[in-house]
Amino acid sequence: MTAMPAKPGLLQQISGLPQRGHMSWFEIILLAICVAWVAFGIAPTFQDVVVLSFLFAGLALAWNIAGGCAGLISFGHAAFFGIGAYTSTILFLNYNVTPWIGIFVGAVAAAVAGAVLSLICARLKGPFFILSSLAFAEVARIIALNWSSVTGGAEGLSIPPVPDLANMVLGSKTAYEALTLVYLLAAYAMTRWLEASRFGFYLFAIRDNDEAAAAAGINPLMVRSAAMALSAALTGMGGTLFAQYFLYLDPTYVISPELSFQFALLPAVGGLGTAVGPILGSFLITPLSELLRANLGNAAAGLHLVIYSAGLIVVMLYFPSGIAGALEKLKPRRPQR
Amino acid sequence: MNTIFQLVISGLLIGSVYALMSIGLTLIFGVLRVVNFAHGEFLMIAMYGVWAFSRLLGLNPYFAAIAVVPAMFLFGALVYRIVIGAALAKPHLVVVFATMGLSIFLQNVALMAMTADLRDVPPIFARSISIGGIFIKGELLLGFIVTLLCTVILQWVIKHTFLGKAIRATVQDGEAAKLMGIAVPRIFLITFAAGSALVGLAACVMVPLFSVFPTVGLNFVLIAFVIVVLGGMGSIEGALLGGFCVGVVQSVSAYYVAPAFGQLFFFLLFLLVMIFRPNGLFGQKGAATLGMNE
Repeated sequence: MTAMPAKPGLLQQISGLPQRGHMSWFEIILLAICVAWVAFGIAPTFQDVVVLSFLFAGLALAWNIAGGCAGLISFGHAAFFGIGAYTSTILFLNYNVTPWIGIFVGAVAAAVAGAVLSLICARLKGPFFILSSLAFAEVARIIALNWSSVTGGAEGLSIPPVPDLANMVLGSKTAYEALTLVYLLAAYAMTRWLEASRFGFYLFAIRDNDEAAAAAGINPLMVRSAAMALSAALTGMGGTLFAQYFLYLDPTYVISPELSFQFALLPAVGGLGTAVGPILGSFLITPLSELLRANLGNAAAGLHLVIYSAGLIVVMLYFPSGIAGALEKLKPRRPQR
Repeated sequence: MNTIFQLVISGLLIGSVYALMSIGLTLIFGVLRVVNFAHGEFLMIAMYGVWAFSRLLGLNPYFAAIAVVPAMFLFGALVYRIVIGAALAKPHLVVVFATMGLSIFLQNVALMAMTADLRDVPPIFARSISIGGIFIKGELLLGFIVTLLCTVILQWVIKHTFLGKAIRATVQDGEAAKLMGIAVPRIFLITFAAGSALVGLAACVMVPLFSVFPTVGLNFVLIAFVIVVLGGMGSIEGALLGGFCVGVVQSVSAYYVAPAFGQLFFFLLFLLVMIFRPNGLFGQKGAATLGMNE
């Protein structure tokens, strides 16, 4: 093995992240394919996989706002996902509030939780922030598990499977494809807007060098909290969509550390801090893990996860800037103007 | 009054066992400045090793230390060579995700090889020892003694040997250590392997107390993180004190509130420490910025 260079500091390495992407033809075509896919009802046998790929692409984009753009690597986003899912479901089951309203109430609740987390962890960086967000989600999980009168505890909550558009229980999987695609496009538009906006520049500045950013008059605490709240709100909306699709919620999945890891992995594999990376990550990994699970699930328990995790390690070691980064390298270089 | 004594003593004893499995993690963090998310799975593999050793040879699981500790040292060195070393040269996040991938990988390899069944060894001590009306499990008392010895020996190695000096130099300033002729990558390798070997020792103490199954590491890795942060990352005696804290909080809250809330309390304790004392309860100044300054 060659001599190891000094470990790059967080500041140095994060500066290597992309700042502001331009919408490329590749992205436009990719999104157009998604729309056409749903509009023309392609591959009806894989609709479950498509719904999940869209949903997780949206969730990956939501995570990327905090993790990729603001540098807040959170392993606790399952808490926001759970808060969104439980808020809309409890409102619907107990107070007969339609999830179309509940999704926004859940988003607000998740945003508040996100702001609280970033205020708690205002001084923390790197591994400390990661571990604190993990602990935060564990607290949420233990509360959801033991507060059975409201959350149904370990038994979970079920939404009656009666198709009714007014209650966001859709009759066909194509309708769910459309719904999750709208979510994905909304998250994408939000990311693009962020990249172009003044607020987005604040985020990149804080991520790359918070001391310099603070010296330039940006309030790191406010900007971090706002980014986390936005990311949490989008994640909470994804939670509601998840609940409305599966019509069942239980804390051991919805607020699990595994789910938090999943939210972080998809953008990391696809390309952190880019708008297209999280989508690519989800489109690659979600179908792969679903298909591996479907085909190998019975043959050998755990084999699909062995393949999946070995692939993950290889990708991380050889393509540290993700698929989007690898694609970027393939592009012919334009001369500097 | 007796109840509270009993709870505190049991908490201290179980806490010392938790501390033993956390020392490896704190050592690896302090030197490599890497959070090893696969630490729990290292423990799981070592526990399977101990279980298999005592099952196949029909020996007391404590004797498995002779085989499992060196085996874990080699395993740690191998993992370092294949995954960690390569990831360290890459951006900071790569190693986080690589160790997470490693954790999922090891869990599922274990699931395929060993199935999800719980594996146990028969109890070592037939009865609890009673001292002045306080009952003490023999296995826990032994774990407590092993932990104390281990802490003392490690402290001595760190303070008084050349290797220890090189490790401390690397912790303080990797760049300067390199300039002084310390082979930093070798120190990294040795530390990572030694951290894994310590997990092997912890496994010998833990197998008589806990069942082994593929996801057993998940239960313990979060406890280990809490202990390491409480004690101040990289501090060995801090890990011991952090372990005592977690053990006592767990046993007292499990008795007075509800067993399910025992975990809630130490995660809350963890968050409170993060808010008010990010350097850890017993950590040295500046511990919270270890690993991100350059």
